[in-house]
Amino acid sequence: MGKIDLNRRNFLITASAVGGGLTISFAALDSNAATPPMNGPWGVATTNPELTAWLSIAPDNTVTVRSAMTEIGNGAMTQTAMTIAEELNCDWSKVKVEFAPPLRNYKEDNVYSKVGGRTGFFSGRSTNEGNIKGGLQIGASARVRLQTAAAAEWKVALADVIASDGVLTHKASGRSMTYGQIAAKAALVKLDAEPSPKPQSEWTLLGKKSPGKLNNPAIVDGSAIYGMDVRLPGMLYAALKQSPVHGGKLKSYDAEAIKNMPGVVAVVVVDPAKTPGTADRDKVPFGKYGIEDSLAQHAVAVVAEHYWQARKALDALPVTWDDGPGAQWKSTEQIYDAALKALEKTDGKVAAEAGDISVLEKQPKIVEATYLTPYSEHACMEPLNGTALVTPDKVEIWHPSQHAEQAFWVAADEAGVSPDKVVYNQTYVGGGFGRRVFGNDVRMVVAVARQVPGRPVHVIWSREETTRQGRYRPMFAAKMRAGLDKEGRPQAISSRLATSKAPPTIGQTNGLKNTPYLASQIPNVRLEMQDLPFHLMIGPYRGPAYNALAFVTETFIDELAHAAGTNPLDYRLALLASYPDPGWAMCLKEAASKAGWGKSLPKGMGQGIAISNWPGSGKPQSGTTVCTVATVEVSKAGEIKVHSLDVAFDTGRILNKDAVHTELEGGAIFGFNMAMTEEVTVKDGRVVEGNYDQYPIARAGDVPKINIHFGGLTGHDRFGEIGEPPVGTVGPAIGNAIFAATGKRIRTQPFSKVDLSWV
Amino acid sequence: MAVQLKINGHHQVIDADPSTPLLWVLRDHLGMTGTKFGCGIAQCGACTVHVDGMATRSCQVPVESVDGAEITTIEGLSQKGDHPLQKAWVELNVPQCGYCQSGMLMAAAALLKVNPKPTDEDINESVNNICRCGTYSRIKAAIHKAAEASQV
Ligand code: FES
Ligand code: FES
Repeated sequence: MGKIDLNRRNFLITASAVGGGLTISFAALDSNAATPPMNGPWGVATTNPELTAWLSIAPDNTVTVRSAMTEIGNGAMTQTAMTIAEELNCDWSKVKVEFAPPLRNYKEDNVYSKVGGRTGFFSGRSTNEGNIKGGLQIGASARVRLQTAAAAEWKVALADVIASDGVLTHKASGRSMTYGQIAAKAALVKLDAEPSPKPQSEWTLLGKKSPGKLNNPAIVDGSAIYGMDVRLPGMLYAALKQSPVHGGKLKSYDAEAIKNMPGVVAVVVVDPAKTPGTADRDKVPFGKYGIEDSLAQHAVAVVAEHYWQARKALDALPVTWDDGPGAQWKSTEQIYDAALKALEKTDGKVAAEAGDISVLEKQPKIVEATYLTPYSEHACMEPLNGTALVTPDKVEIWHPSQHAEQAFWVAADEAGVSPDKVVYNQTYVGGGFGRRVFGNDVRMVVAVARQVPGRPVHVIWSREETTRQGRYRPMFAAKMRAGLDKEGRPQAISSRLATSKAPPTIGQTNGLKNTPYLASQIPNVRLEMQDLPFHLMIGPYRGPAYNALAFVTETFIDELAHAAGTNPLDYRLALLASYPDPGWAMCLKEAASKAGWGKSLPKGMGQGIAISNWPGSGKPQSGTTVCTVATVEVSKAGEIKVHSLDVAFDTGRILNKDAVHTELEGGAIFGFNMAMTEEVTVKDGRVVEGNYDQYPIARAGDVPKINIHFGGLTGHDRFGEIGEPPVGTVGPAIGNAIFAATGKRIRTQPFSKVDLSWV
Repeated sequence: MAVQLKINGHHQVIDADPSTPLLWVLRDHLGMTGTKFGCGIAQCGACTVHVDGMATRSCQVPVESVDGAEITTIEGLSQKGDHPLQKAWVELNVPQCGYCQSGMLMAAAALLKVNPKPTDEDINESVNNICRCGTYSRIKAAIHKAAEASQV
C-alpha cells in the first residue's frame, strides 16, 4: 500500500488500482475532510473498512453503498445498491446508500465516474450497461475479498467459504461470522485477478425481487434532507429576483430603501460577466456547453437572518431592469407566428436525408399537416434552491442536483477556484425532470454566497421565480408532408421543424428522425431544421424534443392511416412489418388488446394509439419502446375526460418490476399534464405564469386510470431506461382518441386551450 | 413579538415577525424541515400540518393567527414513523421524489380521523395536494390499506 499526500490534506489511499478499476482503501479519510455540521445523504468520511471506494462495511454488518447517481425520485440510488448487492450477497435490510463525493472522484482519478461513463454521476441511467457491469463487479470483488479473508482466518480453502445474507460460513467446521466482523481484514486483501460476476441466469435479486426505495422510511417521517432542508450553524437566507425578461440586465436598485428592514444583512448583485471561471473548463462533464448551459442570469438578492425577512425585503426593494432584446417578443402568438413563418422557408439545415424526396410529389395522394407544441416548465415540487459556504480556502456546497459532478464543476467555476477546493454535498432532490442537470442553479447559489463569505447562505427561488426563470421544454412548430402510394403507404415524408436554438447538448430531433419510419422504413425522407432566436431559456425536459416530436410524428401517422382508410393500429403494424425489432409490434398489440381496442363506443367516446421510443438511436432493439392507448370522452360542448391510459413497453428486460411500474405510471401522468394543460406564455417578453394557480398540475381527481402492461417485453438483452420514455406517447394517443371520438384533428398542445366542441 | 405554540406536544415560544407564515416558523425558526415549501400560496399542499386537528396549509397561516393552537407536523405524526399511513406508504412504495409526501400524509391522516373508511372520491376531495411525480394511485391504495389496518 502506498500513501499519497494530496494537497496537504491528510488523505490516505492506496496507490494500486486493481483490475476493474477498483481501489482498495482502508479507513480512508474522505474527501469531505471537514465533518459537515449536519447529517444528510451525502457521503462523509468513514472509519469503517472500505472494500472499495464504493462500499464500506461496519462492524455491525451495515453495508454503506456510495451511489454516484443522484436520486430525483426514479429510484436510481436503490438500483445502484441492488446491483452491487446481487453479487455481494449482503443482508438487504442492512444496506444504506449515501451519495459519492465528487471531490473524491476528482482526486482519485475518476474513481466514481469511470463506472457508467459520462453519465456516471447522472440521476437517470442506473440501468445502463456500464452501471450494471460496474456494480456487479464491485459487489463480486468485495465478496471474494471477504471470502478470502475468512478463508485465511479459518485456514480453509476459499472454495469452501460460503457468502450469503451478510454471513460467511464454513460448512464442514460449522464456523460462521458476519461480513462486518472480517471487513477490516478483507479491505487489505489484494486479489491476483478480479472475479467474474455470475451469469444473469443465476441472479436472485435483480429482476427477481422488487425492493422499495431505500429512502422511503426517511421520506415518510420527514427526516429526508432535500436541498431545501439544509440547516447549518450561522446560516443566512437569500431571496432572489432575476431579470424578468430572460437575457435582460439590472439597471438600478435601491438597497438604502430596505437596509433597515429587520434581519437584512446584505443586498447582492449577480452579473454573469463577473464569473471568475476555473481552470480546466474542458473537464466539465458536458464540455464547453456544460459551462454555457450553466450561465447565470442578471439578478439581485437580499440576504437576511431569516427567509421571511429576506422575502419581504426583496418584495420591498425598488429594482428596475433593462429588458434587452427579449422584450421584442410581445406575446406568445408573436413567437408562434414567427415559428410558423419559418416553416415556409427552404434554407433550413438538413438534419436527415435518404432516398429521393422528389418521389413525394409523384404519389397519388399527398397529406400535409402543421403542428405546434408550447414551452413547458418542469414545475418540480421542490423549488430551486441551494446552500453554499465560501471561505478563502474552501467552498462547501449542499445541493439538490441531478448531476453532482456537473454541479461540483460549476461551483468551482463560479467561485473561481480549483475543483480541489470544492466540497460538494448531494442532498435528496424534490424532482428533476431535466431542470437540475446543467447547474445554473448551483452557479446562482455560489454567485450570491461568495459575496457574503464566511457564513453559509441558503438561496431560495420562490415558486414564481422558479417558474419564470425556467429552462423550458422548447416550443416546436412542424410541417409534415407525405406522399402515399395507391395502397396508402407513405413512399416519402418531408418534414420541417422550427424551434428555439439549442446547444448540441440538447437533442432536437428525437421522436422524429430516429423513429423506424424516418430512420429506415420509409425510403425517401428529408428533414430540415430552422433555429429561431427566441429569448426564452430552454433546457432538457423529460425526454427532450421527443416529448414534442412524438406528438408530431404519431399524430401524423394517424392522419396517414385515416387518409389510407386503414385502422390506425393495423396501419402502424403494416408500416413496421419488416422492422427487425419485434418489440414495436408486441407493444402495439399488448396495449391495444388490454385496452379493448376496436370495441364499439358511443359517439363522443374514442380510442387513440401512439408508439415511439426513447432515447431512440434509430436502431432496432435499443432504448425503450412505449405504446399508449387512450380512451377518452368528449362532450358536444368540448369538455374532455380521459378515462384511461393503457401503457405497454419494451425495455428488453427489467431489474425491479415495481420500480418500473411506478415510473411508467408517473411518466404517463407527466405526459398527460404536458398534453392537456401545460403552456408557458409570454407578455412583453416576460413569462406570465408564476405559480400553480396559473400553471396547473393535475391532482388526484384529475388523472385518468393508468394501466401498465408487461406483455410488450421482448426479453432482449438490455435494460432500457424508464423515466423519460412514457411521456412521449400520451399526448398523441389522447389527440388521436379525440379524433376518433369527434372527427376533430388536434394539432396543437395543450388540448385544454383547443376548442374540442363537435356536432 | 413572542407567539406561544404547542407543536407535537411541546410548548414553544417563538420570537418572529407575527406575519411570518407558520411554515417558515417551523422550517426556519424551529429547524423542523419535514413540512415542505412548494408554492407559498396554499395551492400545492406540501406544507400541510394539523392545526387543532384540522389539515391546514401552513404557508398561508400567519403565525400570530395560531397563537395558543396545537400544531402537529409530520415529525409528530407518530413516535417512530409507524402511523398506519406511514407503514402503508413504505409497504406500497408510494414515494417517487418524496417531496410532496409529508403533506400528503398529513392531509390523509386528517381525513382518516373524520372519515375512517374514505372512498376514492373522498380522497380526491380531501387529499387534493399536487404530486408532480404522479404517485396518486399509490397514495389512494395506501390510504385504503391504512384504513383497513386501523379497523381491524
Ligand atoms: S407551500 Fe403551502 S400549499 Fe404549497
Ligand atoms: S413524489 Fe415527487 S412530487 Fe410527489
